[in-house]
Amino acid sequence: MTIERAYFILYMIVLCWFAVLITASLIRSIIGPRITDRVLAINMIGTMVICCISILSVMQKESYLVDVALIYAMVSFVSVLILVSVYLPAKKVRGEYGTDGNAGVGKASTESDAELVKTIADGDVEASKTKADRSKKK
Amino acid sequence: MTSQWIGFWVVAVCLLFGMLAFTAAVIGANRFGFAMNRLHSAGIGDTLGVMCIVGGVLGATGFHADTLKLILIIVFMWFTSPVSSHFLTQIEYYTNPELYRIVGKGAITSEKQKKQQKKQKNHSRK
Repeated sequence: MTIERAYFILYMIVLCWFAVLITASLIRSIIGPRITDRVLAINMIGTMVICCISILSVMQKESYLVDVALIYAMVSFVSVLILVSVYLPAKKVRGEYGTDGNAGVGKASTESDAELVKTIADGDVEASKTKADRSKKK
Repeated sequence: MTSQWIGFWVVAVCLLFGMLAFTAAVIGANRFGFAMNRLHSAGIGDTLGVMCIVGGVLGATGFHADTLKLILIIVFMWFTSPVSSHFLTQIEYYTNPELYRIVGKGAITSEKQKKQQKKQKNHSRK
């Protein structure tokens, strides 16, 4: 076996295994329950494609493919940034338990009342008075 | 002739270890139950996998005109992968209503609780 034949077999094994892995990531991007999983799977597919292109450049001795891989890395990063800027909430507020940020803002008044009741039930009278004063001022 | 085969085996070990890292990343991304765990396993593929695969390609080409570009790919991926993971974690943190069931109630402090904690600290200082 010559050395070129050995390198060819090695590269073919790696590329075929990358095809299997990209298919598995594509399945995750389809069944992902939230937007985070989909963006994550697309980012992983991009990374694996970069590796495939750099292996192809040394396999076929085409040096311009390295430039293609570099540009692909930049474009995949920009795509992730733009998707994030679309889906990240503008008002960065983490809501109360069981709600997301936007839903937590609307429920604030009822939750403060619930806390007031809880403090009164605990026997913490002074804290409940101060809380009632704060709510009156608001 | 022997030195060529030694180089071939070094390249083969690099590429196969990179494949192992990517396989671990994909298995983790498909099998873990929570989105932040999946982000962690994807970060392994983005850094260790890219380093090993592109390092193997560097060993196969030798010193060449493309060496600097290949090193630049590694550096670029190492800088951008933590940034994208950070932003995806921010999306998951601010918009997932099921988060408290997974990490426990005490782990998350809402904005209201943070303000209350600040007020309590100021009172204790006075």
